[in-house]
Amino acid sequence: MSPALLTRRSFLARTGTGLVLAGTTSALLPARPAWAAPAKVGEPAPGFTVNATTGSPVSLASYKGKIVVLEWTNHDCPYVRKHYETGNMQGLQRDATGQGVVWLTVISSSEGTQGYVTPPQADELTTSRKAAPTAVLLDTKGVAGKLYGATNTPHMYVVDKAGTLVYAGAIDDRPTSRRADVQGANNYVRAALEAVTAGQPVKTPVTRAYGCTVKYS
Amino acid sequence: MAIRLLAAALFGGMLAGSGLAAEPARAPTAKSPAPPGPPRVSVTLLSEVASIEPGSSFWVGIHQRIAPGWHTYWTNPGDSGEPPTVDWALPAGWQAGPLVFPQPERLPIGPLMGFGYTNEVVLLTRLTAPEGLTAGTTIRLGGHAAWLVCEKICIPEEAEVTLALPVVAGKPVAGAGAAAIEQARRAVPSPSPWPASFRATPEAVTVSVTAPGLEPDRIAEVWFFPGRWGVIDHAAVQEVTIDRAGITLRAKRGLLPTATDSDLDGVLVIRERLDQGQVSQAFAIKAVAGSASAGPSLSLVAALGLALAGGLILNLMPCVLPVLSIKALALVRHAEASPGVVRRHGLAYTAGVLVCFAVVAGALLALRAGGAQIGWGFQLQSPLVVTALAYVLFTLALSLSGLLAIGGRLTGVGQGLAARPGYAGSFFTGALATVAATPCTAPFMGAAVGYALTQPPAAALAVFEALGLGLALPFLALSLVPAWRRLLPRPGPWMKRLSQALAFPLYASVAWLVWVVSRQAGPDGVALVLVGLLLIAFGAWLHHAARGAAPRWRRAATGFALASVAAAVALAPLAAASLPPAPTAGAPAGAAWEPYSPGRLAELRMQGKPVFVNFTAAWCITCLVNERVALRSPAVTEAFARKGVVYLKADWTNRSAEIASVLGSFGRSGVPLYVVYPARVGQAAAPEPRVLPQILTESTILEAIDKERL
Repeated sequence: MSPALLTRRSFLARTGTGLVLAGTTSALLPARPAWAAPAKVGEPAPGFTVNATTGSPVSLASYKGKIVVLEWTNHDCPYVRKHYETGNMQGLQRDATGQGVVWLTVISSSEGTQGYVTPPQADELTTSRKAAPTAVLLDTKGVAGKLYGATNTPHMYVVDKAGTLVYAGAIDDRPTSRRADVQGANNYVRAALEAVTAGQPVKTPVTRAYGCTVKYS
Repeated sequence: MAIRLLAAALFGGMLAGSGLAAEPARAPTAKSPAPPGPPRVSVTLLSEVASIEPGSSFWVGIHQRIAPGWHTYWTNPGDSGEPPTVDWALPAGWQAGPLVFPQPERLPIGPLMGFGYTNEVVLLTRLTAPEGLTAGTTIRLGGHAAWLVCEKICIPEEAEVTLALPVVAGKPVAGAGAAAIEQARRAVPSPSPWPASFRATPEAVTVSVTAPGLEPDRIAEVWFFPGRWGVIDHAAVQEVTIDRAGITLRAKRGLLPTATDSDLDGVLVIRERLDQGQVSQAFAIKAVAGSASAGPSLSLVAALGLALAGGLILNLMPCVLPVLSIKALALVRHAEASPGVVRRHGLAYTAGVLVCFAVVAGALLALRAGGAQIGWGFQLQSPLVVTALAYVLFTLALSLSGLLAIGGRLTGVGQGLAARPGYAGSFFTGALATVAATPCTAPFMGAAVGYALTQPPAAALAVFEALGLGLALPFLALSLVPAWRRLLPRPGPWMKRLSQALAFPLYASVAWLVWVVSRQAGPDGVALVLVGLLLIAFGAWLHHAARGAAPRWRRAATGFALASVAAAVALAPLAAASLPPAPTAGAPAGAAWEPYSPGRLAELRMQGKPVFVNFTAAWCITCLVNERVALRSPAVTEAFARKGVVYLKADWTNRSAEIASVLGSFGRSGVPLYVVYPARVGQAAAPEPRVLPQILTESTILEAIDKERL
């Protein structure tokens, strides 16, 4: 389990000599690829173009002037199932899209990992679960996921009409997989949508997302 | 991980051979559909005792055995995941404490980072039995445990755990789970003995742990597990620097902008290379917002200003008062002289102060550069210096009493030079004033000196010299401005009376210094110092008595007097080498305070109690005055009791790197320092400690205490 521990030599090669002045300097680098600075709340939401299940590419930029919700998902994840099997997620999708909000469901599972689906499978899931997204995006390479720093399923983002990221984090304040916890939870996404629609600042703009790890390659 | 493997072996062996009354874990229930197959985690409930003593508390542990390749989670699960929970279903009257987690491991998952456990872990809870249990009965303890277990995919699992234990009056014997629980308790992070602080920028968070004395070469690795999400990027590189001051750790900032608004808690795991392998230690740290390694946020100009003001006020501090008397008399004596002479005396005095400050500050900086954890007033941590100072002030007092004629040649060096009418006399009066002033910390001085010690030598010396200039300034001003001197009374016979009267503050100082020696070198040291003072007095009397005698007698008397003083000087190192009194186990019976230790402070804070810490030293007059005037007042004692404030006393009379480092974390290098650690309210993070003024009054303390919400 222990992450790769770089030798001092390789660490110094990486960071230069600025740190060796005082005492011993060492650092531990977990085995992870460089992850560019993810999207920050309050800043312009990074643009992306990813194929939808229809086969046609979808760009965030094309929804400028509309409120956009991004939902990272993985249909096998117990935390996602909590919100789909109780109808919580679909209800939110319906309420949002009914008010003109664009809802993009994103699947970043890479091929061969849990949650990876083909376009027909994805569409079948939408039908069978009575989901109501504007589009389902297959981010198989994890491009959009890494751009937004999506770590969990579900992981939710709200972009306002000006293209600014105004919410990033969990769907609600009950970080469990228990279905019973949907009742009475404070739904952060619903609150954020109500705030942006009313032209008010989002009260809780950043929360810790909870759920399963996004299955990047 | 060696420990964990060892623990695994232990557990395996133990469980195989034990008839533990625990139900096997159940597979996930129908409520949470999961992929088919056996549970990835099997849980059992362990107890450290084999029987229950009514009214007692004991540890139980949820033992998770985790399938290879899978992991469960810590309280902060990292980038994803969920910490395990237990809902206890205990018989009436029983109480269960919170889940206590052993130190976690890092679990890298692609670009993400989780914090949790592999192979196995024991999550601890302290149970308290009610008093009214009947011996001979059997009690079933249990609850509903739920956890998330992940490999690439995550599965929520849950199980009922139970354990049946007989009720037996009297001390129970160790239960079958005792060894496993003991092992797990050792892996629970202990309260950090070191203060910590952090600094946040939009890009990074830097945590500084004041852990002096770590050997950098022996530290194999350091990792900080943040207690909450959003503070630092969990998966980011942690750049670790270890030097004499401690550990500095820098990591990319997390996503929650408000995360750095409050204290930063977490677990610092240090793996140290020992001769027989590596040992990993985990410390629960709470880093307070502020100056991570940057020192107190004062500008040089502000520090110089504070130092000058501090030096001025130093003239009025109790420890400088005796020397002030010498200056006052000298000034009056020089008042008749020409302005030029007076001016030169003023300059010589100032030079004496400044040179002495430079010497003391230079020594302090050099020693600190060498790694010594010392601060202002450090000279008085040496009983030899205290003894020498007692001798000098005593000789000076004898001189003022009239036993030694001013200008006599056989007196102690400092006094002789200080009393010499020439400019050298003025110079050494300045030096003496400085030496006597060092134990005192005046208001404003603490911050300035604390700042100085974090600066490069040139800036540090400048601050110390500003302090010296402040000390010398009143006398210098009087000597430079003739108009002000006219305000002084004319010289006359009153000077003799005044000089005799002023001897008494000096005797008082000597008495105080002897008391300091008693704290440093015990009763034997005191006896030797007193004999030394006696010899000095005898020598002075001999010298004085022989003044009118024939030259032959005078020479003999002088010889004896010199021998007497030499004997006193020879006694000083012996006195200093005497053993200090055996450290007492605690505060004197009935005292309102407890001795300070970082562990005790951490413990009290974890219990949510407000704490008042008095950083003091026997050689610090300001500290003693504050204690007498403010801290021991009935109103303060009553307020402490009423608000449940625990009063800890950190005694810096002798050197202590531990206390020096705490002072350093508040940007100080000397005592007194008074800190109120407010109580934690509910589950909120504990509020930051507040520093009280260095000159305490009853109302200052009462006001600070009243602000405490309890």
